[in-house]
Amino acid sequence: MRTILLIDMDSYFASVEQQSNPALRGKPIAVIGSGKRTVVTTASYEAREFGVKTGMNMWEAKKLCPQLILVVGNNRKYTHTCKMLNEIYSRYTSEVEAYSIDEAFLDITDSLKLFGSPLEIGSMIRKEVKERFGLNATVGIAPNKLMAKLAAELAKPDGLMYMKQKDIPAVLEKLPLDTLWGIGKKTARKLNDMGISTCGQLGRAPVSILRDHFGIIGERLKLMGMGIDSSPVMSNEETAKSVGHSMTLPHDIWDKKDIEAYMLKLSEMVGRRARRHELKGDTVTVTIRYKSFRTFTKQLKITKYLNDTHDIHKTAMEIIRSIQLRDSIRLLGVSLSGLKNSKDPAQLDLLSDHVKKESLLETADSINDRHGDSTVSWATYMTHRSRPAVISPAWRPVGVHRTNV
Amino acid sequence: MEAVREQILVIAAFWGNSRLKPLRFRWSDRQIQVKDVTYEWTTEKGNSRLLHFSVTDGNTLYELSFNTDSINWILEGVETEI
Repeated sequence: MRTILLIDMDSYFASVEQQSNPALRGKPIAVIGSGKRTVVTTASYEAREFGVKTGMNMWEAKKLCPQLILVVGNNRKYTHTCKMLNEIYSRYTSEVEAYSIDEAFLDITDSLKLFGSPLEIGSMIRKEVKERFGLNATVGIAPNKLMAKLAAELAKPDGLMYMKQKDIPAVLEKLPLDTLWGIGKKTARKLNDMGISTCGQLGRAPVSILRDHFGIIGERLKLMGMGIDSSPVMSNEETAKSVGHSMTLPHDIWDKKDIEAYMLKLSEMVGRRARRHELKGDTVTVTIRYKSFRTFTKQLKITKYLNDTHDIHKTAMEIIRSIQLRDSIRLLGVSLSGLKNSKDPAQLDLLSDHVKKESLLETADSINDRHGDSTVSWATYMTHRSRPAVISPAWRPVGVHRTNV
Repeated sequence: MEAVREQILVIAAFWGNSRLKPLRFRWSDRQIQVKDVTYEWTTEKGNSRLLHFSVTDGNTLYELSFNTDSINWILEGVETEI
């Protein structure tokens, strides 16, 4: 039987800011982005008592808590701390999955004989995190990832819960459906309509009825209701399926020149990251979000594999030109998928122009590696400098998803 | 935090395991004694590594950075009010 540990940092960004600035400790604070159009990214527990939540705009948050202190976030502080936290976790087991910037799964099955009981390991990690960073971590321990996440959820904040196999049925019996990781409000409502309102009921529901309503997911839902989850802790970096970047623009745009300039920047970011990790892709996807928040994507598969900034940009603009824009644009994104290793001999292009272009890109990349991103950049973009990015949910402390924020 | 971005003179301690701690610094003709280093983090700019420190003199919060390539200290910003 496995022993899985989930570490969840309590109100992570807000806690880091309260540690950095003693004057903020014990006060209701909300970490926000640097742009004009920003929302609460994390609220401290003091602010949460007033109902301040992630995703709220500043006006709403201030209305609920007039004494709320707004702090512009520092993403590099959080990403560096995340990297250091993962180094602590790696001392207890090599099976560490950084699930997000503030959560990690650890498979400690083989660590028990070295470090002690699950509770002892959980306590040691919490203590070390507190001593090194002054931050509170909640730890959930269980025989699988689903239950470890639930244990952490039930133990929050600043808690430690060990859910043994024999405890699971009693915990799940009366538990509301949307408390379980992976069951959202929509699925919970559909299950309620079927007369299923607790996890215990879900676990006992006939799989044929669940399959009728949810298709193949029905079987998975039943297993979840029974507290069963065989998904492994993914410690090796998964092969990236795509490389992408998106940005909320400083103001809504409509002009084709502006769109082209931002698309060039995004293409450069995508191309550079793909080149750094020796990847090329054959499908370019563009994401557009209008001022109205209507969001859609359109993709184009091409006949060759590429990671050249201009090729990505050219393809992205071809997609843009094929769309009849209906409103001004708030967010743009570009991603490259259908990835292969760029050093694969089948992908080599020996035409001299191509070789020259690759050499130019390599030179620009090595200057940017030495002196910082965008030291050498495209002239078209120079008048459209962007602000620090938000941390994508896909951000990870290592590998192709470790982007500069 | 109000951005400052000025080069400053710092007295710092270096000790085992690559640890570094600013002890005091001079800014605008003032000597500021570091009472506490409240947070530390590292960023990269190209090949340069920047060590960042949030420090307080007991009244005011400052952010200092040390560039390991150029061996310069910068006062990045000052927290002026809550």
